[in-house]
Amino acid sequence: MKGIKKDFTLFAILLIPIGVAINVVAGELVELLKVPLFLNQIGTMIVAMVAGPWVGAITGGVSKLIFGIFNPTQLAFMPVAMASGIVVGLLAKKGMTTKIWKVAITGFIVALVAILIATPTTVIVFGGASGTGSDALTAIVLASGKEIWTAVITQKIFIESIDKILSIFVAYMIVRKMSDQYLAKQNYGHFYINKKKAS
Amino acid sequence: MEKLRTFILNLYPTTKFFITLFLMITPLLLPGYLYSYLVPVLCLFIAMIAGKTKLFVDIVFKGLLSIVIMIFLLQAFFYPGDTILWTWKIFSIKQEGIDFSVQLTSKILAVGSAIVLFFQITKINDLARSLEILGVSPKATYVLSSALNIIPEMRMHLLRIMDAQKTRGVETEGNLRIRLKAFFPALTPLILSSFSSTDEKAITLESRAFTARTKKTSLHQLEKTKSDSVVRVLLLILFVFILIWRFFL
Repeated sequence: MKGIKKDFTLFAILLIPIGVAINVVAGELVELLKVPLFLNQIGTMIVAMVAGPWVGAITGGVSKLIFGIFNPTQLAFMPVAMASGIVVGLLAKKGMTTKIWKVAITGFIVALVAILIATPTTVIVFGGASGTGSDALTAIVLASGKEIWTAVITQKIFIESIDKILSIFVAYMIVRKMSDQYLAKQNYGHFYINKKKAS
Repeated sequence: MEKLRTFILNLYPTTKFFITLFLMITPLLLPGYLYSYLVPVLCLFIAMIAGKTKLFVDIVFKGLLSIVIMIFLLQAFFYPGDTILWTWKIFSIKQEGIDFSVQLTSKILAVGSAIVLFFQITKINDLARSLEILGVSPKATYVLSSALNIIPEMRMHLLRIMDAQKTRGVETEGNLRIRLKAFFPALTPLILSSFSSTDEKAITLESRAFTARTKKTSLHQLEKTKSDSVVRVLLLILFVFILIWRFFL
């Protein structure tokens, strides 16, 4: 508990609204460019990488709350966003977000966790539908005679893994571009400073 | 009408929350779908009185309609059942699937529209203030209200950056690869510049004793009125009545 409180410095708290706003605006940009992905957890991932898992989790949770104002179904996926924040943060603490190949592994783990949490939510709460174009995939698998669980898992594996892995790469590239002076003020910014000097 | 409108809009945020909670929980408690389908209509009615009809309808249509249609399509065709209503080649609509989707979508629509209504009739600043009065840390409410304030500002900033990148020759239209490539040059400057603004924000907040451990005063005044107690008591009576009717009769 004490460790969690220690993460919430004034600086870390100020990162949360910015992370949330990035999630929302990036999500809108994706829609504007008509890219068939979500990419609406990039802010959560950046915050989790530099400020730790719990700050990341709050960023994810608040983002879904704000998304929920305009689309209430998003509220059901709050645990997914929070878990993404926690997983990225915990792995970042272990130094798993400092090299490209490590980021790829982190991306896979985040996607896996997201699939595990999002699938039951989609099946139980929304009867397998998500209200997006990716439902076509669910329908195709269902039409081939598979069960709803198999269908939703297949759809999530496709969508979530592409989405989460791409998001974490974008997050990683952006963290890499932050100045050392800025990173030094963050709870876990030092991971990304040392690497720069080594290279 | 005008009187009713100010009555609803001037309710205390937590009272509005209780109304929402009531509208969310009762459809889950009561069997059948008739009442659940009534809830969105009721929400629409309240939104109309509050003068938020357009926004309410917009959000409900955009956020909920697509998922409701998808549930109907998926469940009607693929829910396991034997009572076939209509067939086309290998696909068939089954009665069981329709029943299931009617049940499920009624609950989703009820809960969803109650949430939409809540955010339409409650100002986030009021909500934040009432949470503070309830004892939630001002840091938490700051996060909530500041996030909402930053979003429009950041949206403008994004549009400016995109214009700038377009002048530089970054293409934002074309096939998927080109559009995906445009994502990065638009987003990176936006994120980096907004993160670097935290420095100034920290200084500003610190100079206003944001982290000082004293009781904070607020310019934002919120008061509970008589109508709040009336609404709360009414809701409680209705809720107890429904509970008794559902489980004891």
